[in-house]
Amino acid sequence: MFEAATPLERKRYYREEWDVRKLPEFIARNIHMREFGFDHTGRGPSDRYRVFDDEKRLSRFMRARFPFAAYSSVAFYREPGKRRGWQRSELIFDVDAKDLPVRSCNCEGVCETCLDEARELVLMMVDTLRGDLGLGDVHVVYSGRGYHIRVLDPGVMELGSEVRAEILRYTAGARRPRRKFIHSGESYEMEHFSIPLGYHRVFTERAKHVFLHMRGDERIENVTARTVREVVKNRELLLEDRWGEFKRRIGPRVYPRLVAGVAGINMKMVDAKVTIDLKRILRLPTSLHSKVSMICMEVKNPETFDPLKSAVPKFVHERES
Amino acid sequence: MVSSLFINPFSEDAREIVRNYGSPDTIFEASSALLDTVKRTRGQNLDDNSLLPGSIGELAIKRLEWYLRRQRKGFDHGDYAYLMNPEIEEYDVIAFYVLAQAAGAGFRRGSREVRLVVESAGALVEDRFRVLGSERAEIIEEVLIELGSEGTGWIELSELIGSGKLRLTDLILHRGRVVIDEDEFLMTFQDRITDRDPRSLYAALVGLELKETLISRIIMQKTEDYIERVSEMSSTVEPHPIIIETAERIRETVNEVTSFRGGPVKSAGQGKLVPDAFPPCIRGTLDGVKSGNRNDAIVLLLTSFISYARLYPSVFRDRTPLKVSDLDPDLRVVREEILPIIYGAAERCEPPLFEDDPQEKLNITAKLGFGVHDELEPEHEGESKWYTPMSCEKIKIHLPDLCRPDELCRRITNPLTYYNRKRWELQKEKSEQEGED
Repeated sequence: MFEAATPLERKRYYREEWDVRKLPEFIARNIHMREFGFDHTGRGPSDRYRVFDDEKRLSRFMRARFPFAAYSSVAFYREPGKRRGWQRSELIFDVDAKDLPVRSCNCEGVCETCLDEARELVLMMVDTLRGDLGLGDVHVVYSGRGYHIRVLDPGVMELGSEVRAEILRYTAGARRPRRKFIHSGESYEMEHFSIPLGYHRVFTERAKHVFLHMRGDERIENVTARTVREVVKNRELLLEDRWGEFKRRIGPRVYPRLVAGVAGINMKMVDAKVTIDLKRILRLPTSLHSKVSMICMEVKNPETFDPLKSAVPKFVHERES
Repeated sequence: MVSSLFINPFSEDAREIVRNYGSPDTIFEASSALLDTVKRTRGQNLDDNSLLPGSIGELAIKRLEWYLRRQRKGFDHGDYAYLMNPEIEEYDVIAFYVLAQAAGAGFRRGSREVRLVVESAGALVEDRFRVLGSERAEIIEEVLIELGSEGTGWIELSELIGSGKLRLTDLILHRGRVVIDEDEFLMTFQDRITDRDPRSLYAALVGLELKETLISRIIMQKTEDYIERVSEMSSTVEPHPIIIETAERIRETVNEVTSFRGGPVKSAGQGKLVPDAFPPCIRGTLDGVKSGNRNDAIVLLLTSFISYARLYPSVFRDRTPLKVSDLDPDLRVVREEILPIIYGAAERCEPPLFEDDPQEKLNITAKLGFGVHDELEPEHEGESKWYTPMSCEKIKIHLPDLCRPDELCRRITNPLTYYNRKRWELQKEKSEQEGED
């Protein structure tokens, strides 16, 4: 598992198993407005600015060239072959299991554990996008080594990079939540975990995810290694949401620094460059991730999705037998 | 009884007042009624007649002047107390439109003058809320309805969010709606709130504070939009001469208050660059950046950092918007010192930035405030904004590979602040060593 595919295996995949009709509807419906890019050698997508008027032409290309990797733009253009006439872009969140700054496994690349932790994070983010931000047309795609969340809600498609960055901060829990409040002329402080709604709730959920998956050797900005060990030692309390006691154990003076550090980690859980880039190309669902021999595919039910059951091409099973 | 006019120049009542006022011919004519109201204002300094606006046109300029002076040392609230007097509200509404129209007719979008007019509109709203007594809550509710922000979706506020005027994380969101109404808050979240009084939680999270912020930001955005509409119209319809005259007064006022004479701005003076005080992200950029990050690193980060570090390192402390030519009138420093550093770093990129992106030279000129042109020409200044260096938070998103924080980075939020702090530390070390010697 997770071995690179040989050119012969790629050829077999695209000729015997891949079917253009499995392309997600959100890609197929506007295929002629997207730029396509290909990596034929494994050194990056150097063959770009490709356009396909319909699925048939894409199908012919894929079967003939069986690329190492295939990508399509998140942007829709009037002239996609020249990347001109930008009209709108999907809103993307890229959670790559191999780049998670906090994960409980010790693997070099990706494994079942970190893939599952990436999925947990994606589930929470989708919940926030739908619940708090009220967005629809949200798709989850297994990328081969992690997940992409692709949002095609008309409300966000024309937004610029700065608003996208702000959505990312909200959805990932990447900003230290406000602590100081004023009520009846008096100023007082409330911790994020004592506010069960809005961004505070989102942050609390993400912080819990981070604390529960730490190994104890992570580096958190402005927090000592000893505090990280204390977090790991006391994190069982969070399973019962005993945040107050958890904070007391960490220390009331250290805790705000820990919160700031976690906001920084949350930002690194998602590849921010992908979210703010309006002209990105993204791995094409149904294509093969040849580095790990997994199929990039749309996930219909992220709650139950298991990539090791659903995203493994036939040639891998044959290779193993 | 204070009316919403005092806060909101975009209400239907306010527009009605402007419509009824008719032609702007009399804008600069003396108004004894306005002057009486100004003089009757409690706490108003009356010993200098130049402080008192005798006409609506002067009131418009005073609104801006107040904003420019309020951050300065020695600012006396009594000089502009009438701006906080609700009795001027009807004159003030017209003054607001005169100022906004003049900004639209006389200046380009993104210019310093337009930005200051927009910021002054927001600041005035914030300060006026502070002087409202028992009527504050009622006025807030009224203005929110007038601005159409009750039950609004966050996407409708996306311009405010994108421009940094409002933070998404400060809003209370539920299914895309911004929850600001108390009953809606209780209905939506009551079941989740178990260990405290939901009403007091609402008061803390939303309450008057968030509503006021929302109102002031929406008014800023509407002012900006209005100025833009006037600007577009000015290309087809000749603006009224009084409006052109007001634009000239805006220019004079901004120049007079902000021009650097070594006095009002505490430490705007230029100084030689101290490369040892550059933060890690800038050192990384100067070494040359790989493709992918090159454009943002050179055009957005380095251009603004080097220009401010060399010409105006105290911009965040002084908070007075200056132009490059205020500090380097003949642009010699920019041409001979600043641009060579930026171009040198662009050359060290992999591949060199201008080889495949020659148009980025235009963007560098634009980020210094000289519009999209090949060369820095004084007459183009103001066509674009002189960009201040992006914050560390933004660097983390746009240029994550360059963010390699050291010990000092943890205590600051902008690379320019790092530079100032480090420079001060280096200077202190040096003088201590000299003392030991």
